[in-house]
Amino acid sequence: MGWRLSKFNVVSMVFGFSFLYLPIVLLVVYSFNASRLVTVWSGFSTVWYRELWNNRGLLDAAWVTLRVGLLSASIATVLGTMAAIALARYRRFTGRTLMTGMVYAPLVMPEVITGLSLLLFFVAIDLDRGFWTVTLAHISFTMCFVTVVVQSRLVSFDRSLEDAAMDLGATPTVTFFQITLPLIWPAVAAGWMLAFTLSLDDLVIASFTTGPGATTLPMKIYSQVRLGVTPEINAVCTILIAIVSVGVIVATLINKRRLVRQARNERLAAEG
Amino acid sequence: MKSLGSIRRDFAPWIDPASTPFLRFEGVTKRFGDFEAVDDLSLSIFESEFFALLGASGCGKSTLLRMLAGFEMPTSGRIVLDGEDMAGIPPYRRPVNMMFQSYALFPHMSVEKNVAFGLKQERMAKGEMADRVEQVLKLVKLEDYAKRKPEQLSGGQRQRVALARSLAKRPKVLLLDEPLGALDKKLREETQFELADLQYQLHTTFIMVTHDQEEAMTLADRIAVMDKGRILQVATPAEIYEAPNSRFVADFVGNVNVFEGTVRSATGDRVTIETSGGFDIVAERDVPVETGQKVSYVLRPEKLKIAAEPISGPNVMEGEVWDIAYFGPVTSFHIRLDTGEIVKVAMVNATRQSPLQLTWHDRAFVTFDEDAGLVLTQ
Repeated sequence: MGWRLSKFNVVSMVFGFSFLYLPIVLLVVYSFNASRLVTVWSGFSTVWYRELWNNRGLLDAAWVTLRVGLLSASIATVLGTMAAIALARYRRFTGRTLMTGMVYAPLVMPEVITGLSLLLFFVAIDLDRGFWTVTLAHISFTMCFVTVVVQSRLVSFDRSLEDAAMDLGATPTVTFFQITLPLIWPAVAAGWMLAFTLSLDDLVIASFTTGPGATTLPMKIYSQVRLGVTPEINAVCTILIAIVSVGVIVATLINKRRLVRQARNERLAAEG
Repeated sequence: MKSLGSIRRDFAPWIDPASTPFLRFEGVTKRFGDFEAVDDLSLSIFESEFFALLGASGCGKSTLLRMLAGFEMPTSGRIVLDGEDMAGIPPYRRPVNMMFQSYALFPHMSVEKNVAFGLKQERMAKGEMADRVEQVLKLVKLEDYAKRKPEQLSGGQRQRVALARSLAKRPKVLLLDEPLGALDKKLREETQFELADLQYQLHTTFIMVTHDQEEAMTLADRIAVMDKGRILQVATPAEIYEAPNSRFVADFVGNVNVFEGTVRSATGDRVTIETSGGFDIVAERDVPVETGQKVSYVLRPEKLKIAAEPISGPNVMEGEVWDIAYFGPVTSFHIRLDTGEIVKVAMVNATRQSPLQLTWHDRAFVTFDEDAGLVLTQ
């Protein structure tokens, strides 16, 4: 088409992208700084990555975060998917409106309140705070996000597919695992990713519900920054950014491939 | 009444008092809240019959089908299939299979996996299953497409996969929900004949739901015309068309002219009706009527004859050519009678050059035989 960017477009793009990404670029650049001072550039070095490898505290925190994330995201996905199915499928049951409201409430609940109430709850039932309390807390606040994602997929799901499976002799359980789940799988996976990401970067709720020996990475970073930013933190953050970027790129490529395949299939169908 | 038989010669179990129905609906009612979808409906269907439920959307025909498949439970009444009461039997244990309007093919499975799905549920042996899949795919002429995914097929091919899948388990009854609804006109006509052939070969009982009267007429041995959860008439296509039992059925199936009137005299096998338009109709007396009774006289457009010159005799109406539509095989005239009513006349174009030279606003004369139409009391 040969359309070109006007000056205005160029300027606004530069401003927009700088606003979004300049801080991140700075963070990444300074993770390769040879100097201990974060604000003074004194040459390229990977020393802080090596230092990071020897920093037990940060590595332990990263390991805790990963374990909490994997476990809580997986459990939240199972529970969230079940809630989504109940809400999408059973249009009339007592307490449906209440349940909808309750499932979605954590989406808008301030994290401080969620964290505090969970803390009070754990204290009340006399549960030792640590890895399990953080995991439980993350399950309870990420579940609703999974429900939202999966439910929106179920709304557009063709119910006659399930009817057809049952008509052909599949019990409701077989129907769910062989027909429904394979078809809503992308939404379930997206829900899991969302839950995992939310768990990964949660600071507030984890701070409320954690105990000795279960410091998560965001908590560790936050507490270290209060003592002064070290380039090690920059290195950790750069690694996190790299992981997230790879994840996004892979997801985009998979989606792109699916679109290409779909176009090819449509051509095949038209040819007969 | 002259007999209007079935198309298939020697197949009319419904008139044989000795034959037992294969499937019976006994006083079946289905309510959704306040809405009565099916209202105290009773119906008998015979083995290897091709039966059509015909009606506008919302008449309860799909609900009836879904109750038979087991997706809905009747509020009251019984459904008995081959001597077995279907109450409480879930859809996955019923000996019926359904072809869905949207086809409902599993998009993540190939054609052969789709067809084999039902067989897998009954744990059929591998070798036998492969044979059966091949056999039904051959039946619908899709044996070369076994490895394709549904999205790699055209609409017509998808329809045939859906058919093959629902036939694979050899159900006692095959249910078809608007089987040809999603196809374009040309393909629909071809597929109609294929479907009829298939049913003839397999001797399976087919029950079809449709809103398309032409589809029902072409395919079915008998048709049930439904409205507001009730069956108005169950009869062969020819009976439904030539001897509808009510104005609704006459109007729903095909084109019709309806004249409202009062019986002036009813003697022997003749009845004279004075229409509200003021002219008299002399007709055969099929149903018992009394003098002074309000009746409708229904007349199919092709049973009327049209002429440009005055005709003598009874049952002649005069008017002006109001509209002409040329369809190819037939030409349809709308004649505005001098009494103000519009009469539809269909003339078969038996020759290439029509001998009748009528155009808009010409005078026209319309006549019909005494047995051309039907006197209806409801």
